[in-house]
Amino acid sequence: MKKNLWDPIFGGIMIGIAIILTFYISGRGLGASGSMTSFAVWIQHLFAPSYTESSSYFSKYFANGVNPLNDYLVFMAIGIMIGSFLAGMISKDLKFEILKGPNISNKGRLWYALFGGILVGYAARLARGCTSGQALVGGAELSVGSWAFMFAIFAGGFAVAYFVRRQWI
Amino acid sequence: MIGPLVKNGLISGGINTLAAVLIGILFGYALQRSGFTNSRKISAAFYMKDVDVPVVMFTAIVTASIGLWGMSLLGLIDLGKFYFLPSYLIPMIAGGFIFGIGMAVGGFCPGTSLASMVTGKIDAMVFVGGFLLGSLLFGDLYPIWDKFYNSDANGVFRIDQLLNVNVGLAVLIITLLGVFGSLGMRKLQYKFWGKHD
Repeated sequence: MKKNLWDPIFGGIMIGIAIILTFYISGRGLGASGSMTSFAVWIQHLFAPSYTESSSYFSKYFANGVNPLNDYLVFMAIGIMIGSFLAGMISKDLKFEILKGPNISNKGRLWYALFGGILVGYAARLARGCTSGQALVGGAELSVGSWAFMFAIFAGGFAVAYFVRRQWI
Repeated sequence: MIGPLVKNGLISGGINTLAAVLIGILFGYALQRSGFTNSRKISAAFYMKDVDVPVVMFTAIVTASIGLWGMSLLGLIDLGKFYFLPSYLIPMIAGGFIFGIGMAVGGFCPGTSLASMVTGKIDAMVFVGGFLLGSLLFGDLYPIWDKFYNSDANGVFRIDQLLNVNVGLAVLIITLLGVFGSLGMRKLQYKFWGKHD
């Protein structure tokens, strides 16, 4: 594990301040998964416009002829990528690589990453948000559903950790 | 100036969009500097090998909760103009469980995958591709699970309402939960894996 990282308490306080700022300025929380779904819908729309616009779930992304990419969370996602890139540059961590435990092949790790991504993409929509927009923001808002979501994440992770240990440990 | 600034007409929509980018930069910077662009570090939480992820999460929640509540007491923000997340308890618990499985398998959550992807981590790029497919799967097959998705709707349902206490006490309760939860998890990490890892 890389040294010279921020103390986790300091990192948590900085993210907490980011949440306070979104509320103070915009009256809403921050988030990450919403922008990614907007992007996915935008791509699907390029190939199947009428199918996507008539979808019972995705039609709201095109209400009144708006572009799904013209969205608060999409701009925030651009910021997240800029911020992380800058931090990676300063800490000399910009490098094409695959991070994994010693007991799995690169190909194996990428299959796990793909499958995990599909599960998280599905689950973030089912739960109406992710670790950022639902767990952190809702947690700070004292939302019961958000706290239940967060404990369920840890339950799910602990439940399956043993079976995927070859990938990490 | 009393927040939320944009809803009180104190800033324009354009400035609000600019704020979204700037807050995103702070968030992304903090994620990378906390080590969360590393899938090994994130997944280590599920083995209690490195509990920095839950410690950062608890700290962020407690910081934001105290900050928002304190600012409303001081009259700096109008909580009535906030967007509060509604609680659909059972779908959120089911979603959280699947989400946790996906995190242990994939090594990321959405925000960390975006942050990691731009630092060149190929596993993060593949995870993001998977995420796009997974969310399309949810939306395109929505009629299969729309009933479940909209079930157990509790509206805005907060811990202060659940416990029938005032908001200040609820903030104190989650603060204690965050502090002792973090200390307890760190203790388990040291117990199972030792102090130097």
